[in-house]
Amino acid sequence: MAIAASIRLRDFSGWWRYIVALGYLAFVLAPFFYMALVALQTDSGAGNGDFLPTQPQWKNFSRIWETVDLGLYLRNSLIVSTSTGAIASLLALGAAYVVARFRFPFRNTFRISLLATQTVPGILLLLPLFVIYIIIQHAIQVRIVGTYWGLVLTYMTFALPFAIWLLSVYVKSLPVELEEQAMVDGANRFRVIRHVTLPLALPGIAVTFVFSFLLAWNDILFASVLTSPETKTLGPGLQYFVSESFSIPYWNLLMAASLVVAVPAMILFLIVQRYIVAGLAAGSIKG
Amino acid sequence: MSIKGAAFRVAFAAGLRPWRSHRSAFPVPYWLLSPSVVPLVVIVFIPMVFAIYISLTALNQNTIGNWTQAPFVGLKHYLDGLDPRGPLAPSFYTSIKASVIFSVATTLFIHTIGVGAALLLNGNLRGRTFIRAVMLLPYIIPTFVNGILWRLVFMTDTGIADQIQAALHLGPRDTFWLIGPRSLWALILADVWASWPFIYLMALAALQTIPADVYDAARIDGATPIRIFRRITLPLIAPTLGLGIALSTINHFNNFALPYVMFGPTPPDEVNVLPLNIYVNSFITFNLGLGAAMSVVALVIMLTPAVLYLRAARVGDAD
Repeated sequence: MAIAASIRLRDFSGWWRYIVALGYLAFVLAPFFYMALVALQTDSGAGNGDFLPTQPQWKNFSRIWETVDLGLYLRNSLIVSTSTGAIASLLALGAAYVVARFRFPFRNTFRISLLATQTVPGILLLLPLFVIYIIIQHAIQVRIVGTYWGLVLTYMTFALPFAIWLLSVYVKSLPVELEEQAMVDGANRFRVIRHVTLPLALPGIAVTFVFSFLLAWNDILFASVLTSPETKTLGPGLQYFVSESFSIPYWNLLMAASLVVAVPAMILFLIVQRYIVAGLAAGSIKG
Repeated sequence: MSIKGAAFRVAFAAGLRPWRSHRSAFPVPYWLLSPSVVPLVVIVFIPMVFAIYISLTALNQNTIGNWTQAPFVGLKHYLDGLDPRGPLAPSFYTSIKASVIFSVATTLFIHTIGVGAALLLNGNLRGRTFIRAVMLLPYIIPTFVNGILWRLVFMTDTGIADQIQAALHLGPRDTFWLIGPRSLWALILADVWASWPFIYLMALAALQTIPADVYDAARIDGATPIRIFRRITLPLIAPTLGLGIALSTINHFNNFALPYVMFGPTPPDEVNVLPLNIYVNSFITFNLGLGAAMSVVALVIMLTPAVLYLRAARVGDAD
């Protein structure tokens, strides 16, 4: 009786939900559709704002690789963003583990300063950070500005506060008994985290990976100062399509390139998608 | 397993349950903490202190060559910017107003849209997996591309916004969207489109922690959908939304890239948000001391949502 009622009541949600879903799909996809239309325009058509391409310029999708060094920027962005995602997640897991499982002096100060860090405008840090990197470079004779690891270090640090938050909640929701059992069996702290906590926290790590990846993937501000021509990422790289170096801005090529470079990020999202929701959800269970 | 609130409230309030004291038998593994703490100190904390110092000096295009010797001017930049009769006050207050309106409006819209989508996709829906994946697409478009995309959309006469508006007889084809008061709406739409999936994800995660039998019981008791939303769903996802609102207010207030790409260094007043104003002062007119002082003011303003959130989540009361 109760089952029958609940099935009937669930079905009552009804057709209007599909209308709403269609509305959402249109809202999300219309700009992509527009991007595709612009991508297929001729150079002048895109500049004139023509809506439908009179003759779809499929060759735009091969021109993007020749007009600017898109392959290099894409490779750099993938290297930097993937490293940022992986390193930020692993370091955050370590810190989150300590925050979740231990009491230590200034523990609350540390947690509150994680939120406070979020309020710092990136633009406030840009110049001082650059100067500090230059000072460190002179002091230890290691190049930071213009290298991959300088970028990764910067993005990783910006990603850490959010990643530590999320993972500390996640770790807290995991049963402590498994770890204790492993310690009793003679495992050291590193092995406990490596073989017990890490596998269990994988969904949470997937979430922090994606957030950190996107932080690096989307940045323009720091990338424009901290990259060299060889390490230029997509953020500043895509801007070349509409820069002064060409006689006209290539809106069409910019849109074609944007659609193409979205594909690797999209594949990544599809892979970790199942973890994302599970990970965020588990982070919210008070265990 | 009690279901008490969701993700980020718990992130802070996690200490509310009795502490497992037997864990303290083990030494605190600081070696796990330091790889995070050291970069945070070097890359966020020290530059921030440095920036506060710069805000007290006359570091500008004349003194940049010998920046360690930039004269100390104390609170001059703060007074210049904040004194209502000062020369810089009009531009500064315009920017604060633009930033507050932009960040509050965006936060409001993305929460409405994001929570709506989460409610929709939390229920049974044919093709749910596909729709869930599509919803995340705007989130992976680089900010620069997003800015250019909407600039094309809102281009006067040639942009699709003006063309649609003219076709539907809603307004003339030469309506200005990137200049004048409408520019605020262009900016809000561009930002909302790109950033609502974040709230959607957080809300969806929070909804998934509510067991289905709570809803079933409520329905059997004859509660209407609106009543169920107000009495069950909303209270249970409120903590997550609280953090979402705090983070989104802060992030949108600090958003430099999107307004810069859409409007460049000389934006209309309505979208001359504080980060743009700071950028122009710091890196175009090279009055770095003034730019840093304005950044510090931005930081202080943004502590408001952070503190409100911390108070609401009662962090640190229990442990």
